[in-house]
Amino acid sequence: MTAIQILIKDIKNLRPMPVIASQIIEMVDSSSASMQDIAKVIQYDPALTATLLRTCNSAFFGLANPVESIRDAVSILGIDQVVELALLNASAQTFNRPWKGYKLHEGAMWRHAVSSALIAKDIARKIAPKSSHSIFTAALLKDIGKTVMDKFLQISSDKIQVLIDESGYSFIEAEKKVIGTDHAEIGAMIAKIWKFSPKMVKIIRYHHLSDVTMGKERDIAIVYLADCISMMMGLGLGVDGLAYRFHDSIIRDLSITPDDISEIIADFTLNMQKVEALLHVV
Amino acid sequence: MVTRFNRLKIIVGVSDMRVSNDPHSDIITYSLGSCIGLVVFDPAVKTGGILHYMLPESTLDRTKAERNPFMFADSGIPLLFKETYKYNAVKRRMRVLVFGGSQILDQKGFFNIGKRNYMALKKILFKNNVLINHEEVGGNVNRTVRLEIGTGDVFVKTSGSSEVKI
Repeated sequence: MTAIQILIKDIKNLRPMPVIASQIIEMVDSSSASMQDIAKVIQYDPALTATLLRTCNSAFFGLANPVESIRDAVSILGIDQVVELALLNASAQTFNRPWKGYKLHEGAMWRHAVSSALIAKDIARKIAPKSSHSIFTAALLKDIGKTVMDKFLQISSDKIQVLIDESGYSFIEAEKKVIGTDHAEIGAMIAKIWKFSPKMVKIIRYHHLSDVTMGKERDIAIVYLADCISMMMGLGLGVDGLAYRFHDSIIRDLSITPDDISEIIADFTLNMQKVEALLHVV
Repeated sequence: MVTRFNRLKIIVGVSDMRVSNDPHSDIITYSLGSCIGLVVFDPAVKTGGILHYMLPESTLDRTKAERNPFMFADSGIPLLFKETYKYNAVKRRMRVLVFGGSQILDQKGFFNIGKRNYMALKKILFKNNVLINHEEVGGNVNRTVRLEIGTGDVFVKTSGSSEVKI
């Protein structure tokens, strides 16, 4: 069996996301489902409701009175916030463990995923408010391919490192060269099998802009930028560190300046304590 | 017996600073990307600290700098030195080590926040006659830094490799 064949088999055997998560992602993507429809789905899932209420009552929100039902949560925090929290809660178990190949200690991949999602939402609010839910979700799940690639990294990371250090490869280019595929391609395959929308599959596939022309698509460019900012901030980095390519032309096309990036970093930093609270309660 | 594993761990978060003179403590800052970890230690009074700042200049937003001065080089660096002086540390005796300032590949010019963070530090230290004893800056790795207050030893761990003593 070649590495690719093993990977495909692993993808098929991968424990799927909880049904409720796939359902919410599908509804977020679909133009026919309203936010209220999603709230209804959530409240019929007792496990998700329980964790969701715990998150709502965490220090992240600092509510004066605890919320006791999804209906309360929606009226106090707003439906958008509740849907995002439901996505966080539902996907936590997929990411929140150590990944040896990528040398990510327990919680690191989760920290990177949540930070990227919050930063992407912040950018989307300013320049693409209508897409902010799917951008948030795609930024949260963009590294899903790493969960399957991890065991190959355990064998190949030395070779990958040599290509980066000595031949000027980026991490994702080196992954492709050594393993025959990369975590973005594998992530897109998983997203397809999990029946994510074509748009979400595309964002996951190109979140490192391995094909730079894809950066012309605004939603992809926003998730890419959020990933770059999380890397600069050192949020949940592993063996790949910051070894990806920076395309300033794509960022300029979003009308984002270096000062805007600094502002995003500063805003995120001021909320860091709250984010920490969120990471630990979810 | 106090060992590396049961010493008090003082964690320096993102945009944060910690100083200690407790010989049984370690000061640690995790995962520096483009941020800078500035380590100072005065061996005579066995006092040291780490500043972990994110951005070069507080002119970006004075209000945010007031809320958290450790976010910026120009507002954070003087505070690190001043805090150690409270424990009788002296500037001319201070060992100074610098880590971080990494960049994403091809990140150039004003977008290169890692390099700008480092340049801001160099300017401030030069103005104040402070020499850097050791630096590991730039590249595209993330770094974790640990200072042992009891000995003044500094350790760095890079992108998943094992920890190395400086």
